[in-house]
Amino acid sequence: MTKKTLLTLTLNGEETDVATPMDATLLETLREDMGVLSVKRGCNQGVCGSCTVILDGEPVRSCLTLSARCKGHDLRTIEGYEADDIMASLKQHLTQSGGIQCGFCTSGVLLSAQTYLAENPHPTRDGVKSALSGNLCRCTGYRTIVDAVCDAAVEVAR
Amino acid sequence: MTEIYTPKSIQEAISFLAAHPDARPLAGGATLIAMRNAGLIEASHFVSLSEIGELQGIAKTGEGIRIGAMTRHRETAECDLLTGSLAVVRQAAGMIANRPVRNMGTMGGAVSNADPAADYLPALACVDAVVTLAGPDGQRDVPVRTFVQDWYETALDEGEIVIAITLPAPRNELSLYRKVARVTGDYATASCAIAMDGDTIRVAIGACGPGPIRDTEAEETLRGHLANPEAVTAFAGQLAALADPIDDVRGSAEYRLALIPRLIHAGLRQMKLAEVA
Amino acid sequence: MQIEGEFNVTAPQALVWENIRDPEIMAGCIPGCESIEQIDATSFRSVVAIKVGPISARFNLVVEITEEIAPETIRSRTKGEEGTRASILTSQNVLRLADDGSGGTDVAYAVDVTMTGRLGKYGLGIIRKKADQLAGVFVENFRKRVVP
Repeated sequence: MTKKTLLTLTLNGEETDVATPMDATLLETLREDMGVLSVKRGCNQGVCGSCTVILDGEPVRSCLTLSARCKGHDLRTIEGYEADDIMASLKQHLTQSGGIQCGFCTSGVLLSAQTYLAENPHPTRDGVKSALSGNLCRCTGYRTIVDAVCDAAVEVAR
Repeated sequence: MTEIYTPKSIQEAISFLAAHPDARPLAGGATLIAMRNAGLIEASHFVSLSEIGELQGIAKTGEGIRIGAMTRHRETAECDLLTGSLAVVRQAAGMIANRPVRNMGTMGGAVSNADPAADYLPALACVDAVVTLAGPDGQRDVPVRTFVQDWYETALDEGEIVIAITLPAPRNELSLYRKVARVTGDYATASCAIAMDGDTIRVAIGACGPGPIRDTEAEETLRGHLANPEAVTAFAGQLAALADPIDDVRGSAEYRLALIPRLIHAGLRQMKLAEVA
Repeated sequence: MQIEGEFNVTAPQALVWENIRDPEIMAGCIPGCESIEQIDATSFRSVVAIKVGPISARFNLVVEITEEIAPETIRSRTKGEEGTRASILTSQNVLRLADDGSGGTDVAYAVDVTMTGRLGKYGLGIIRKKADQLAGVFVENFRKRVVP
């Protein structure tokens, strides 16, 4: 049984006390000690992007973030975007375009895309590709994902 | 289990590292935690440098531009102080990995790790940056050009950490960073940092040896002959002669050597276009 | 991955042969070698520690001599692991000695190594450079031991 310490984390606007190993990564704490399964463990090396979370408004790799460093910071996963219009549009278009197959990369893709569109309401296709360069997908070949993000941008701008 | 210690000052960090030989300093974690996750590193403690104010931020000083070791790549990539001759450093920062990694990784961490294919070292060598180290015997400065001593080995002694990187004040010159990689954001297969210095160029090649490659004598020989493609090719040949590239998944040694002249010629063309613009 | 090289020792071939077959001498020359122990007539166990940047590994190796043609050729194979089988290493090795015509010996080695596991995944390209460096150190040490 690994020794755990108590950490206070602010997740999706709510402050929670979590018992987690002192040297746990945020990915481990979220999945194993907080039951947040939308965040995925892909490579555990920071390359694939399926573990992406938003820390103080910026996307980071939860597999490379120590939970102990997150005390007092604002953490968001896709569950925290229920009321967000950009996220709603992204989800709808991604489902329709064929941009979701197995779904493993999807949480990370949505968070990266939402962050990008919130700052760039009129993106270019190349801009979208660049923004998603840190999210790997093994299923779709990316085109339908990029289509969906571009379509969502048009819809939100209207 | 690794314990985490978070000092509030450089002195506290140095003292703790001296007292705990199996402790490792932790900057952004983009590399160290990845290694830990892969089982390649075991440390008794991570000494987190994230709360030390003196390691934060980019500022103008008497010597030039001082970049704190904990400055994230994102901040460097957006820094308006890095213009002209220093734009190459800003560009290199913007080409590291992807946005989430740029939000985490730091210049101090990257320079300490000295990955041969990382982007900062050739850019910093091109601008003649100086690394400030702090350790039990005090602080000292090491020019970037001599900082990397071997594959993943630097001038850092046991118990020392990088606390800042200082760049000379920016000059009104063109500079750029150019990299060839398998995909956007990958480590460089080969890269080139170029700055225009009157009628010659300063060039540092990355990912073709343990550290960045520069040849100031060759740069002097090239002075006044930038418009002569053969002179530029000969110059590239001198840099290639100093290279010691590896064969790996990103490219063969032969391919990397072939990229050196192409990167330099393409970089010069890019500069010409920027001049005219 | 092929690691090959050659070096010259200013000592007669018979002497070089004797020394290169002596596990005690080899233990003293191989950088990072912590121990060599003879298991039987043709096998040795050895522990070799290597460091690349922040990564340290301690390899437990078993070397088996498969062919010996005195005083010219030794073929052997190595099996080993580090980190409780976190990485697995195997190699086929050939060592050839030849008289250089002026009282010295030319030594040529060829090692075909495969590494899987955590170190295999991480930068094999650097491992070759490291191997070349270690070979250089070995040659220095060997010369000091053998050359009278």
